[in-house]
Amino acid sequence: MGKQKKEAVGTVGRKMTDTVMECRNLWKNYGKITAVKDVSLKIKEGEIKLIFGPSGSGKSTLIRCLAMLTTPTKGDVFLREECLTRPDVDLNKARARIGFVFQHIWLFRHLTALGNVELGLRRVLKLPKKEARKRAMQALREVKMEEWAHHYPAQLSGGQQQRVGIARALVRNPDIILLDEPTSALDPELIGEVIDTLRDLAKKGTTMLIVSHEMPFAREVANEMIFFDKGTIVETGPPELFFTNPRSERAKKFMARLIKRTKRE
Amino acid sequence: MLRGVSTTLFISILSFLLGLATGLPLAFIRAYGSKPFQILVDVYEKVFRGIPELVMMLLFFFGVGFVLRYPFKNAFFTVIFVLGLRSAANQSQIFRGAIRGIGEEQMVAASSLGLSKVQSIIHVMIPQVFIFSTPGLGSEYALLVKDSSYAFIIGVLEIMEMTDRIRKATGDTLTPFLLGAFLYVLITFPIATWLDIWGSRKKKQLGL
Repeated sequence: MGKQKKEAVGTVGRKMTDTVMECRNLWKNYGKITAVKDVSLKIKEGEIKLIFGPSGSGKSTLIRCLAMLTTPTKGDVFLREECLTRPDVDLNKARARIGFVFQHIWLFRHLTALGNVELGLRRVLKLPKKEARKRAMQALREVKMEEWAHHYPAQLSGGQQQRVGIARALVRNPDIILLDEPTSALDPELIGEVIDTLRDLAKKGTTMLIVSHEMPFAREVANEMIFFDKGTIVETGPPELFFTNPRSERAKKFMARLIKRTKRE
Repeated sequence: MLRGVSTTLFISILSFLLGLATGLPLAFIRAYGSKPFQILVDVYEKVFRGIPELVMMLLFFFGVGFVLRYPFKNAFFTVIFVLGLRSAANQSQIFRGAIRGIGEEQMVAASSLGLSKVQSIIHVMIPQVFIFSTPGLGSEYALLVKDSSYAFIIGVLEIMEMTDRIRKATGDTLTPFLLGAFLYVLITFPIATWLDIWGSRKKKQLGL
């Protein structure tokens, strides 16, 4: 691979067949424990892929490796053909092109909603104050949090906080947004508003990789579902496959449990 | 008398600021630096917290000042230097506690935006570290005001020295000391209290 640099320039001129993010033979070990075992996957422009599987199966570790928030032990991560696992890559620059939404939200507690969304624009993209503010407000509008712009995280509900978290991730027009169980830390009655926000993003054609167990939502928006267990991909396929007849025994069992739970709710 | 008060205030605030400017980076080196640097900070803290300020002041003023006349022959400089570096050791510990209290998440969230480690520290950690540290910083300031009285040993004209001179001039051994004690409380209390109140109000607002 040559040292050609590809700068992100918005979605204009991108083809649906372009690979946005890819990992090849990715491994992550913590001491003797293997959290991610030889995982390869590819996400194309405008695609939505959904990772699900038992807790502790390494989903979070995988998605963090993809965002290079954790350094993989072995294997490569590519963002638009640029290899992020090479030692000479400017990781901060790469991370600025990846949106990340955390399970426990992790807003900056000393900044207002607007301040949270603005920070990356001001300090990483170095936009002038006025323009950063305009774009941040626009992003807050997209997640319907405009009127809460001047509130601190502690003054917002969990669902509102997570919508700000999503605005913070999308405001930079990242190549892809990675979401690590964006609704699993929320009270049940607050999940809906966050799912609605994600649905809006899906309609706009945002490329996303989501770790989630929100099955109705997955069925509606995902192009592909990935069943993950014990650090590796067990089965992939369109949502219909998993809802009707998963091939692997493990996926079958897991889906049955999930569907039962969803019905109860 | 007024001159004594302003000198005490001046010494306390300058050494507090020196302690801040040194202690803050030390705390972050201790928290995020590589192992050898962490050990260095530990050693620094142990040394400067372990030696009585009186011993240090005399050591630098008479001892080091004898070898290196400039700048340690200046008593005022030596006082601020010694108290500032001692305060740096204390403040480093206060800030480190705050960094630990804030947790790793805020740094991870900052780096997910593409902020560098230094940028994350400046824009995300430091503002929260200050709020977290307010009760500790208040008592550190109070400590500096009190310890600034040691400066009279090397002849700096602050409250203590003033008090002593009045005692010598009038022969009254009670009133001057009472007045001095009162003045110390007067300059310690408002600032420390204000810091405390500001800190807890901010903490409540931010849910820290």
